[in-house]
Amino acid sequence: MKRTPWFFRLLLRLFPAGHRRRFGEEMEAALRHRLEEGGRGPLGWIGSWSWAASDLVRHALGMWLARGRDGMRNGLGSVWSEGWGLDLRFVGRSLRRQPGYALTAVLVLAGAVAVNAGVASFVRGTLLAEAPYPDADRVVLAWGSNPRDGQLRDVVSGPNYLDLRRATGSLESLAAVHVGSAVLTRDGRPVVRDGLRVTPDFFSVLRVEPHLGRFFGAAERSSRGPASLVVSFEFWRDELGADPGVLGRRLVVDGEPRTVVGVLPESFHFLRSASLWLPLPDDLLAADARTRIHYHLVGRLRSGANPGEATRELSGVMAEIAGEHPEVRGWGILVERVQEASVLGVRSVLWSLVAAMGVVLLVALVNLVTLFRIRTLGRTGELRLRQALGAPAARVARVLGMEGAVLTGVGSALGLAATPWVLGLIRGRVPEWVYVPESALRVPVLEAVLDPWVAGAMIGTVLLAGLVLAGPALLDAVRVRTSLHPSGGWASSRGAAGTRWLVVAELALATVLCVGAGLTARSADHLLSTDVGLEPEGLLAVWVGDVGDRDATDRTAYYRRVVEAVEELPEVRSAAFIDYLPFLGEDDFAGIDILDARRERDRELREEWRRVGEGLLETAGMRILQGRPFDSDDFRGAPRSAVVNESFARKHFDDGEAVGAFLTVHGEPYEEVEVVGVVADLRTLGPGASAPPVLYVPQQGGPRGSQGLLVRTEEGREMALAARVQDAVWSVDPSQPMAGMAPMSTMVDAWVAVPRAIRLLVMGVAAFALVLAAVGVFGVVGYAVRQRTTEFGVRVALGASPERLRRSVVLEAVPWVGLGVGSGALLGVLAARAADALLYGVRPWDPWALAGALVTMVGVALLAVWLPAQQASRVDPARVIRPE
Amino acid sequence: MHNIAEDHLPLKPRRHLALLLLAEEPTYGIALMERLEARSGGRIRLNAGSLYRMIGGLVDDGLVEPLEEVAAGVGAPRKHYGVTHLGRSVLRAEARRQADLLELARGLDLAGEVE
Repeated sequence: MKRTPWFFRLLLRLFPAGHRRRFGEEMEAALRHRLEEGGRGPLGWIGSWSWAASDLVRHALGMWLARGRDGMRNGLGSVWSEGWGLDLRFVGRSLRRQPGYALTAVLVLAGAVAVNAGVASFVRGTLLAEAPYPDADRVVLAWGSNPRDGQLRDVVSGPNYLDLRRATGSLESLAAVHVGSAVLTRDGRPVVRDGLRVTPDFFSVLRVEPHLGRFFGAAERSSRGPASLVVSFEFWRDELGADPGVLGRRLVVDGEPRTVVGVLPESFHFLRSASLWLPLPDDLLAADARTRIHYHLVGRLRSGANPGEATRELSGVMAEIAGEHPEVRGWGILVERVQEASVLGVRSVLWSLVAAMGVVLLVALVNLVTLFRIRTLGRTGELRLRQALGAPAARVARVLGMEGAVLTGVGSALGLAATPWVLGLIRGRVPEWVYVPESALRVPVLEAVLDPWVAGAMIGTVLLAGLVLAGPALLDAVRVRTSLHPSGGWASSRGAAGTRWLVVAELALATVLCVGAGLTARSADHLLSTDVGLEPEGLLAVWVGDVGDRDATDRTAYYRRVVEAVEELPEVRSAAFIDYLPFLGEDDFAGIDILDARRERDRELREEWRRVGEGLLETAGMRILQGRPFDSDDFRGAPRSAVVNESFARKHFDDGEAVGAFLTVHGEPYEEVEVVGVVADLRTLGPGASAPPVLYVPQQGGPRGSQGLLVRTEEGREMALAARVQDAVWSVDPSQPMAGMAPMSTMVDAWVAVPRAIRLLVMGVAAFALVLAAVGVFGVVGYAVRQRTTEFGVRVALGASPERLRRSVVLEAVPWVGLGVGSGALLGVLAARAADALLYGVRPWDPWALAGALVTMVGVALLAVWLPAQQASRVDPARVIRPE
Repeated sequence: MHNIAEDHLPLKPRRHLALLLLAEEPTYGIALMERLEARSGGRIRLNAGSLYRMIGGLVDDGLVEPLEEVAAGVGAPRKHYGVTHLGRSVLRAEARRQADLLELARGLDLAGEVE
């Protein structure tokens, strides 16, 4: 016998079970009969299938409807099938009678859903999102790592990369990337663009396919190969007019004509979005010194391999290299999934947000249950009347359940509607780019949008939690018949006692959040007011020049003329060059010998160094702690002086006494230079991170082809000056590019963006919890006061003053408020100890944060008690005693 | 279940025809479906859902009952349905009702073409 198609077996399940038991097999037989009979050609097939399907659906529905009608007609359908419309109308009427309750419940729920769905979507979109490459969990970054010297995530030198590339145990492939810029010359004007130089295997590591043309191949492995160029989709669309015939077009990049061979897919980014992608040939990589580190490495793990294995394997290769090249001793490789590295900078923010959100959700739910319970208790009389008139307990519970469902439905819908707004709010507070900790790499924070899964999960959680938590209130309502009328007050009503505990819990949770908000605010204040080592206000920074191809004298002369031209501007107080701008995460290391009294090598170090132009320390506002800054003599003749920072002095000299010591920099014209001063540390990795040791030497000989220029002007006038600085630079040589002009304060701010974001978000969340707690307290005390209206009336009639009544209401609430706030403060301190790593310069029991939280909480709670107390004192005895 | 035949009146056309066909000869579902179509000149075409909703209704009302399984020549045994005593009373009552109506129509000279 042929089988009935599964589709129809499914439809048959629509019929009531009894009908299926009696006729199921026969129906299948009849169905097959009709299908076979009609099935000639596609048209016949479609006709017979749709007829059979619609017939089944129609009659299954018809049977269910008829059954419902019969049930109602016969009165067998029990409470569940009758009076739905009536009950719904009743719910609507009773909610309209108490709009305050309905509005509060809906708003509490909407707020909780919106905030939670927003945060959950954001976390899902950033922390848990897949990077936009196939098998993204196999794409890894390989950092040069020297934990002993405090360099956890650093770049790698060209020759080391070439050796590492041969290790193929755990990695399928390994590519090198140079993050930087490229100068594009268009219409005779140089423009600086983000540019990445990548080895040809880069694109296969990420498994990205070109939008047009091809990527680099074997020919581009040599610098004698074709001068190719790949451009980003956005560059192609916005600047090349989305020209479909772009392949073969020639653009002048870094002074060299290059042929466009490919266009990347839309919104492709790796580490950053770059317009121009150039090949990084092997011979160029091989020509570098082992200690000149420039390259980020990105690889693809073999399937089944993990980053730990790759770390061990590549570190082993580094150890072998160190056998032949002692200068790289101490360096290993740290392999991390690119996904993990990208969220390192925001992970702490996100998880603290998630924790805070969980608490808010809990507060909101407790709040709703409290409200719901109070309302149920307040309706005891009405519910009892309904039961006395014959309404079964189940029917009463159904009315209450329907009310809850209506409020939950409206609240959740409003909340979800508001979620995109919350998401926008969060996104606006979290920086677009964050630094990978302990590295010089900035990565974008991925975009997050409201996720339907999150929305669904959110509603599910709210409903489920609401059901579990509201259960007791429903039961109470059903049991009303047997319970006594809750007379007496705040202290004696059994039902109210339960809600009091709920309010205590709510106050405690809100206090936890308030303590957290106080602590994050205090630690963010600390961070923001930390001395970063220079005066960022009034300082303008800009990259200048592309004179690497000129000789040393020309370069020196060029930079000198630029400083002169800029300093001629009346608003400029001073200007000076430095080879790498601070706070951009760039580093430059040198091998340094510390010399003994006989001027022979005593110790060999590897530390960061900067070559600074005349007046740089003064222009930047760096403080001299010992000795003296450079003077103009230090920039004439043979180099003979150096300045070190505080970290350098402390790390390499007893008691930090560096002044008077002599140093030599390997392979550079700085031999036997004397340390003449110690400057304050520049906290270039952010105010929360320790500052790296740095050696400063006067810029002499051949400066780099491009340098950072710092310009000191009036505070707040930095960008107003930008155009004139640009004109001044171009007045020296109009063919020289400039890039990244920005006030130094924004560069410093990039490092505090994350703590600033935490502060704002946690404080917002705490404020929300505070409002919720206040609503809870207000509701419970208000209910207790209403219950005791008669008692208050009698007391007033017997001569009690309003003042006295107010006091008695407030005093009764004080122990509960104290209990809630006190236990919350304790929990808050414990939670802060657990999250110690998020705090900066503040201890978990910081008295100011604690005091602030306690005062706020107690103040708000007492206000919430005071309002109903006020109501109690205004009771009109004549009105309340009359019915008794 | 209503045991008084008049409670089931009037019979809907397809119900009426199905009852008459089963009274003529007990049969199984598919055969009934085909005979309904043939005897109604194609006007009553049922499919599995409608057929068994109708049969179920007739059984529930006590007008039709499943008979002992009758082995067909080939294939699985098929359940046959026959008209109950109540079913026959209902058919009779319906016929009387329609006869009365026909009488009335004839008196008004409105049944000429029915012959």
